[in-house]
Amino acid sequence: MEVSFALTGKDYVIIAADQNAARSIIKMKGDEDKIKALGSHLLMAYSGEPGDTIQFAEYVERNLRLQQMRNNHPLRPQAAASWVRRSIADSLRSRNSYSVNILLGGYDMAENTPKLYWMDYLGTQSDVPYAAHGYGSYFALSLLDREVQKRLVISFPSFRVKVVDAEGVREVDVDMSV
Amino acid sequence: MSLSNGAILPATLASGTVKKVIEINKFLLGTMAGGAADCQYWETYLGIQCRLHELRNRERISVAAASKYLSNLVYSYKGMGLSMGTMICGWDKTGPALFYVDSDGTRLKGDLFSVGSGSTFAYGVLDQGYHWDLSDEDAQELGRRSIYAAGHRDAFSGNTINLYHVREAGWEFIGNYDVTKMHYDGPGDVPGAPVGGYGYDVRIKTV
Amino acid sequence: MPHQERRFNPYTENGGTILAIAGEDFTVIAGDTRQSEGYNIQTRYAPKVFRLTDKAVLAVNGFAADGNMFVQKVQQRLEWYAHAHNKPMPLKAIARLIQTMLYAKRFFPYYVYNILGGIEEDGSGAVYSFDPVGSYEREACRAAGAAQSLVQPFLDNQIYFKNQLPPPGGAHPRHLPLNDVLSLVIDSFTGATERHIEVGDGLEIYIVLAPNKSSVELERLPGVKRIQGTFDIAGDASPDVTAAAAAVGVTGEKMFVMRRELKKD
Repeated sequence: MEVSFALTGKDYVIIAADQNAARSIIKMKGDEDKIKALGSHLLMAYSGEPGDTIQFAEYVERNLRLQQMRNNHPLRPQAAASWVRRSIADSLRSRNSYSVNILLGGYDMAENTPKLYWMDYLGTQSDVPYAAHGYGSYFALSLLDREVQKRLVISFPSFRVKVVDAEGVREVDVDMSV
Repeated sequence: MSLSNGAILPATLASGTVKKVIEINKFLLGTMAGGAADCQYWETYLGIQCRLHELRNRERISVAAASKYLSNLVYSYKGMGLSMGTMICGWDKTGPALFYVDSDGTRLKGDLFSVGSGSTFAYGVLDQGYHWDLSDEDAQELGRRSIYAAGHRDAFSGNTINLYHVREAGWEFIGNYDVTKMHYDGPGDVPGAPVGGYGYDVRIKTV
Repeated sequence: MPHQERRFNPYTENGGTILAIAGEDFTVIAGDTRQSEGYNIQTRYAPKVFRLTDKAVLAVNGFAADGNMFVQKVQQRLEWYAHAHNKPMPLKAIARLIQTMLYAKRFFPYYVYNILGGIEEDGSGAVYSFDPVGSYEREACRAAGAAQSLVQPFLDNQIYFKNQLPPPGGAHPRHLPLNDVLSLVIDSFTGATERHIEVGDGLEIYIVLAPNKSSVELERLPGVKRIQGTFDIAGDASPDVTAAAAAVGVTGEKMFVMRRELKKD
């Protein structure tokens, strides 16, 4: 029952993900970070099958880092999204696939535009202004409408929220009591 | 398993006398839940790899690295039926460290975990009594009391408890406690423990 | 209609029971000799207990084909070890070897419960029990197989003195003498034979004595036969070699078998 949200603003992308690590009925951890900074201007929220999530996220993290080291330049959000999607799609057609859902948000420094990509474990990808995975997706349209917190049955005590804009990536504190 | 200025690592013995705490080396302990052979074999194997790391790098492996080695290893067997829920616990350059690693590939860093069929019962006691700067004695007592609760309520946990304490100099075996004895008479003359049994006296007392 | 999957089942269960008890300076490993499948008795004499070295005995129970295969493979590995190192493998090393051999077949296991008994390098009696995929521990006593649920509680009561109060001012003994242990083993199997249909026909008890432990008493018992001690690697030294070794004061572990009849119905 993981939840992650993301939306783009005029010149930024903001991504939030719950911080729970649960095993069946037990919450084993309440401060897990499920958003990775994949570069100076790229963030990725991941959720899905336990084990697959971390393994795939680290696989992506290291490969994008390698790309950057080889080319002396990071991939732009669109290229990174394509690479991630293709990785999911290829793995889906292998004997062991990664069941991971992804929100990839970045700030394109060349075009000076925020970018957000929604991806699921089947390799579906779409370029969207706002997105969500998990039960939160049922409220995606009213995202940041305060309705999310009022109506969501599974109300998480805290979210980790990260922003990416021209300045790069940074973490922000969000007061959940509002 | 709790962790304070040291790290406490208690574990139940479900199938009678099987050692559920596996001594990987002087500084690393692993717990056993799920497949007994899977845990015993791979944690022994981990011990070998940790020793090789030591020989190759003239330096002890960190708890993070050791646990990640195990996590990556079991992840490579994902879907093939391995069953392990384990806690890797030890002391390295960064101080005390505790990781939860299971056979579906999950690896979590934390300072308080409980694994196994009786873990819910243990969590109940552990969560209400845990504080980050618990004294050694109080931490040991909390560990003992938590596993007692699991042994008492869970049909698959019980018999005896093994308690370990991890400090900078490595782990130390604190003792083996009989759950039935703890229920009626308490763990005996042990620092941090109350006089009398954990269960019987408390329930019979009319005051 | 739901799809019915038919699949070849490579396993069966062949009944029988095994047991081992460690004393201070001896170990007793026993098993019945009946082999059955369902209600049919395949044979009344199929050994489940095997000599591995001068000081190690292995009892296997479960799927007989896997059991025999496994014993053969262990014996082969022990022979290789003896050739490579010019000495028999120590008991605790055999235990670890058995773990790795069982775990090597983790995804297509030997459907067998193993109990290893013998004398440790420090001269103490030892029993190691295993599950089919190699989880193991050293214990003082263990029963396995068809009548485990009948025999183990009896052993818990008589060996570990579970649910027994110690005599006033005293304590339970830590180790029992050989004669008491042999009586317990025989009682265990006659009891199991009475109540379990898969147990019976014959009883084979291996007794391993630590070096320097006297065997005079044991050899007086009916049905006890000494298995010739060996000092060479092949495991078949002539009696002369053994006698010569004894003459210069080298008394190795001594192994005996005791055969008893069990009810055949």
